Amino acid sequence: MRLKILILMLLCAAPVLAQEKDKAPAGSAENGHKVYMKYMCYTCHGTVGQGADRGTGPKLAPTPVSFATFQAQLRTPRQDMPPYRKEFVSDQELADMYAYLLSIKPSPAAKDLPLPNF
Amino acid sequence: MANGFDRRSFLKGAALTAAAIGTQLVQAAPVRAEGGEEDSKAAAPKDKVVKRPGSDFMVDVIKATGIEYIASNPGSSFRSLHESIVNYGGNKKPEFLTCMHEESSVAMCHGYAKAAGKPMGMLAHGTVGLQHATMAVYNAWCDRVPIMMFAGNFLDADKRRPGVEWYHCVQDPAAIHRDFTKWDDQPVSLQHFAESVMRAYKIATLPPMGPVLITADGDLAEEAVHDEKRLKIPKLTMSIPSQGDSAAVAEAAKLLLAAEHPVILADRASRSQEGMTRLVELAEALNAPVCDIGGRMNFPTTHYLNRTDDKRALVQEADVVLMLEVADPWGQFNSISDPHHEYRRLAKADVKIIHISVAESLTKSNYQDMQRFMPVDLAIFGDAQTTLPALTERVKSGMSSNQRVAIGDRVKKLQTDYRRMKERARAAAAVGWDVTPVSTARLSTHLWNVVKNEEKWCMAVSGMQWNKNLWPAKEYYNFIGSSGGSGVGYGAPAAVGAALANRDKGIFTMTIQNDGDLMYGPGVLWTAAHHKIPILIVMHNNRAYHQEVMHLQKMAGLHNRTMDRAAIGTTIENPNIDFAKLASSLGLVSEGPITDPAKVEPAIQRAYAAVKRGEPALVDVVTQGR
Repeated sequence: MRLKILILMLLCAAPVLAQEKDKAPAGSAENGHKVYMKYMCYTCHGTVGQGADRGTGPKLAPTPVSFATFQAQLRTPRQDMPPYRKEFVSDQELADMYAYLLSIKPSPAAKDLPLPNF
Repeated sequence: MANGFDRRSFLKGAALTAAAIGTQLVQAAPVRAEGGEEDSKAAAPKDKVVKRPGSDFMVDVIKATGIEYIASNPGSSFRSLHESIVNYGGNKKPEFLTCMHEESSVAMCHGYAKAAGKPMGMLAHGTVGLQHATMAVYNAWCDRVPIMMFAGNFLDADKRRPGVEWYHCVQDPAAIHRDFTKWDDQPVSLQHFAESVMRAYKIATLPPMGPVLITADGDLAEEAVHDEKRLKIPKLTMSIPSQGDSAAVAEAAKLLLAAEHPVILADRASRSQEGMTRLVELAEALNAPVCDIGGRMNFPTTHYLNRTDDKRALVQEADVVLMLEVADPWGQFNSISDPHHEYRRLAKADVKIIHISVAESLTKSNYQDMQRFMPVDLAIFGDAQTTLPALTERVKSGMSSNQRVAIGDRVKKLQTDYRRMKERARAAAAVGWDVTPVSTARLSTHLWNVVKNEEKWCMAVSGMQWNKNLWPAKEYYNFIGSSGGSGVGYGAPAAVGAALANRDKGIFTMTIQNDGDLMYGPGVLWTAAHHKIPILIVMHNNRAYHQEVMHLQKMAGLHNRTMDRAAIGTTIENPNIDFAKLASSLGLVSEGPITDPAKVEPAIQRAYAAVKRGEPALVDVVTQGR
């Protein structure tokens, strides 16, 4: 269910991605990548935010949720995700991580890949 | 023992009178006694041979059960039985398989039983061997899988050699396993052994199945058989699994027919292709979506009614849920968040729940594998596979014309929803396609593309859901289900056990192997190479116990501490393990480590060619966390 909500949010977020970029505080994608890796976010979400098998970690990128939603989920998460509090992850690091997620390029479409299809 | 042969006297040259030797002993070349030639002449008789040791009869008994293999790490407490298997029994049916850890022996039995549809044996010291074996036995117990375990022991303290033999003897060998075995016995005569082995086999293989343990006493095995004419190996007649009560089955059919949103949850429901066929027939009769929880291969992934990936949503809207041998019934309808233990109901309050299961007949107190108590509306005690035909018949015969129309009308939506579910899986698999380390979806895809022309294939062990979401699986042997108890170290030996069974059936076997899991017992790779068990092992080498990272982070969050130290104790880096070298040193064809996604499929292709030649092969792929 959590995954579905997040997917839904992602879908809703897509058309307004450009606006979200504008609303989000300025951040360094390069540093954001470092923070993302340092906190091992890739364990559940993959190194490029692709999400994980069995819904253990929702997809984060490309087209991430709004910065406000992103921030809320990290600071006061719903469900199983641990909180990333300000005393350990600064607002700037949060903005950097978001910038990293925004910088991730879309993957090829499923139809263009040799995925099983039956 | 009066007419038998004391092995200590053989070792020490102690005196035995000719009368005590009896007819079962024949004279052989003399052996020099410890005390020198003169002492030898005075105190020791001529060398003796046990012509017909008890262990030969034990082999006759084991052969009578049809057990084809015995996995074992050699040990002195069962040396006579070992010798009888390889010499008297000709090392055929059963064949002695050399294992490097008793946990591997048992997990091989676990995988074998699920692939072969019958148990194989394992043989271990009654003390140190069974202690090594425990975790794997627990997995088999939780998974309700039959294993025939045999343990060596010298019960008679008067005959034990001092020192190690005492450490390796025990009053009650099965005590350590009794909480998670279905039955055990320590026979004190050969006839007792014969009857107990037959009883154990029947008990192990009657649903709910489970591991059983028979102690093969060392003295009984090494001493001569006497009064052979009196010994009889009982006929082995398998019990028929029980069908659920007819009236209850009729009631279940009524509930299902009246449902607008019926859902079927199948876990350890099927035992064979017939079980799958029966479930397809029921699901089609009702047009009810099926979620395969995965304890066994229950339902074709190609069928429009297989909606496993939509389970949560389907259970949420269901008005009637039929569970078939579900190991965790409560967890299908409720959840508890982690780490704050917030309860959530996942289903409607008034959903009608039917459970067909035999689980309650095999519940013990200590280990909590019975899961949380789940109140249901209709609990039918019966074997799911055996009960399905009667239920389907009741559904078909009890269906009104209105119900027939309503059920028929569901098809189009169900087919559309199935296609959407599959499209979602493919779209999810595409994300992160080109990333390094290799995405798990891409790994799964490349493996499929290599093996897809195999007429018969088995993905023996893999916790990776991509395989079920992306691969077209129609046969019972395509997947063998999970470990049961989630005890780490199951994957590799269980896959090798499945490959052993599949080798004899002509089914190509592969596995996606977790790195941490393999390191519990990599010696099983040598066993696969030594016994020429063909298997394609593709590493899901994420260089960590990734699930544990999250647990550590959750605790840090709960304790308001930093989470950037979660790698301590959870990662398998510095140094990185070179699984290709490890496998190569154990006799496997190997490839890797591979970090470039573009190189994955060619490497798997090369390893596949080796497996087709009859060799085990391993491809080490460095992967994303999950």
